[in-house]
Amino acid sequence: MAVDVLISIRPDQSASRLKTRTKGVGSDAALGFLVRFGAIMVLVMMASLVFVLFRASLDSMREFGPKFLITSNWRPNELEVTKRTADGKIVKDTDGEPIKEIIPAQFGALPVIYGTAVSSVVALSLAVPLSLGAALFLIRIAPRLRPRLPNGWRVPVDVWTSFLIEFLAAIPSIAYGLWGLFVLVPFMQSHLEPGLNWIFGHVPGLGFMHADALTGRDMLTGSLVLGIMIVPIITAVSRDVLRAVPQAQIEGSLALGATWWQSCFEMLRYSRSGLFGAVMLGLARAAGETMAVTMVIGNIPNIKASPFAPAQTMSSLLANEFSEASTKLHTSALLQVALILLLMSLAFNIVARKLIVGKGGGVRG
Amino acid sequence: MSLTAISSKKNTKARLISGVMYSLCVGFTVFILLVLLLVVGYLISIGWQSVSLAFFTQVQIPYGAEGYPGGMLNGLLGTLVLVSMAAVVGIPVGMLAGIFLSEYGANSMLASPVRFVADVLAGVPSIVVGILGYELLVVPIGHYNGWAGALTLAFIMVPIVARTTEEMLRLVPHSYREASIALGATKARTILRVVVPSAAGSLITGVMLALARVAGETAPLLFTALGSRLLTVNPNQPFPSLTKQIYDYATGPYEAQKRMAWAGILVLIGLIFVFNLTVRLIARSKHGTA
Repeated sequence: MAVDVLISIRPDQSASRLKTRTKGVGSDAALGFLVRFGAIMVLVMMASLVFVLFRASLDSMREFGPKFLITSNWRPNELEVTKRTADGKIVKDTDGEPIKEIIPAQFGALPVIYGTAVSSVVALSLAVPLSLGAALFLIRIAPRLRPRLPNGWRVPVDVWTSFLIEFLAAIPSIAYGLWGLFVLVPFMQSHLEPGLNWIFGHVPGLGFMHADALTGRDMLTGSLVLGIMIVPIITAVSRDVLRAVPQAQIEGSLALGATWWQSCFEMLRYSRSGLFGAVMLGLARAAGETMAVTMVIGNIPNIKASPFAPAQTMSSLLANEFSEASTKLHTSALLQVALILLLMSLAFNIVARKLIVGKGGGVRG
Repeated sequence: MSLTAISSKKNTKARLISGVMYSLCVGFTVFILLVLLLVVGYLISIGWQSVSLAFFTQVQIPYGAEGYPGGMLNGLLGTLVLVSMAAVVGIPVGMLAGIFLSEYGANSMLASPVRFVADVLAGVPSIVVGILGYELLVVPIGHYNGWAGALTLAFIMVPIVARTTEEMLRLVPHSYREASIALGATKARTILRVVVPSAAGSLITGVMLALARVAGETAPLLFTALGSRLLTVNPNQPFPSLTKQIYDYATGPYEAQKRMAWAGILVLIGLIFVFNLTVRLIARSKHGTA
């Protein structure tokens, strides 16, 4: 409207004004189109992820059906074995030669699903108490800690602790893997595990956790590295969730005579769904973590009760075998594992987002 | 809480528990920082002994050849090129989606699903994204190549950039937009000339964090760029990257290459630390608080 007025007052400039205006309208439409394109790209990306993985794993789904999820044979190559009768005798042909038979390649994802589940849960049980403690420290203790340096500067403890924890969240997984492989694995093998293994071997009832050989590359080491890696993310998100607790809630409980811990507990209770979301984010991170786990977990798809037995997770199976898969069925089976991993992480993330958005608001993972 | 509940005995017990929990919170934080500093400190101290001029100036030289083990120039350059290519695709798409969410989102049915999907997409394991890159860009082309690596990294960047852009643009006061519209500017002009420039500092922050994140990615490159020991900038071929080279060296049999892997990690962490620190400083100078 303002432009129309200008046009009527200064007819000599009307041409150029109109030009600007039409140009403006044109770029408006263009930008509107472009940003919608960007937004729709996000949806397309998600859809293509699910669609491509689903289509590529159809072969494996047809071949194995639901058995894929509950059997534990993972054998990419055909196996030639001597044919035996039911009571174990070797079957011979007319010339007296043993008959060979070929067992086709088989794929069952149970060991890697088990490996992912156990390593993630152990990692969480180590990381969650530590992270919640640190988050409470950052919210309830650190803001009041401002020690004065000799030169008069005050050190903002909360700012520095937050910075360190966020920096540690940004360290790439390969770095944790390298440290795990060259520092933690030898340490576990020669210091921690022999003692634990001795206890498992001698205390009645714990014998099932005893292992014959200690390599250091096993489920326990894998879970420990995972636990270390997910502490920063759980701490950072829990801190943001706890920060959203109204100050009145804390002051109210203190005014009623609650101790420091009782008021903290009140905070935890108040924001429990957001905190659960933070834990789910940690779980999603742990389940999808690849490089560090691949380097320390031993990479043998076994289901063993001993924490010192090598294991395999879904992501480390993919990292190890995907580029070397030679048959179509092998590739398809690996893609089905990837699909399971994707759906699992989608489920964890969706639950986490719903919970965190509900309480904390504006929290980024 | 009634008066009887605050009987002295119970009070002492509650105080005791409170004291224990307080010490635990402090102790846990110190423990986390110690463990994590131990990890980083170890990486830095070993890496420092292994880094040399050759690391930056020579390419990988195989075991047994003259000049072994050479350096990681091919990986460094490879990561630089891959991340730049990823940025060229990922930043515009992510920013456009972010602008949509912040500036057009209120009047659109599209906004809340896009926001949700972007959040969830940011949590998808990067190895799964790598497999998508393999299926879409390696299988049709017939061999591993740099394009697949770069686009896979771009895929990982988009949701991160989109959500940070949205949040940064939301911090721009609404009065800026109203003033611009009142002066007769179109919506596009308002966004491009007023809203985006006034959030420029924090937008750069978000972009840099996304770049740091993808520069450290290894898993999505395993089946896409694959890695190469040549100094190459030709994305039609298997493409080197620092992280893949570190992984190969660390899991390989040769001692000198393992030392090189430590040096590689030191350089990578150094880069990420500088990125993070820069981002903090920018954020602080723009908004007063970090």
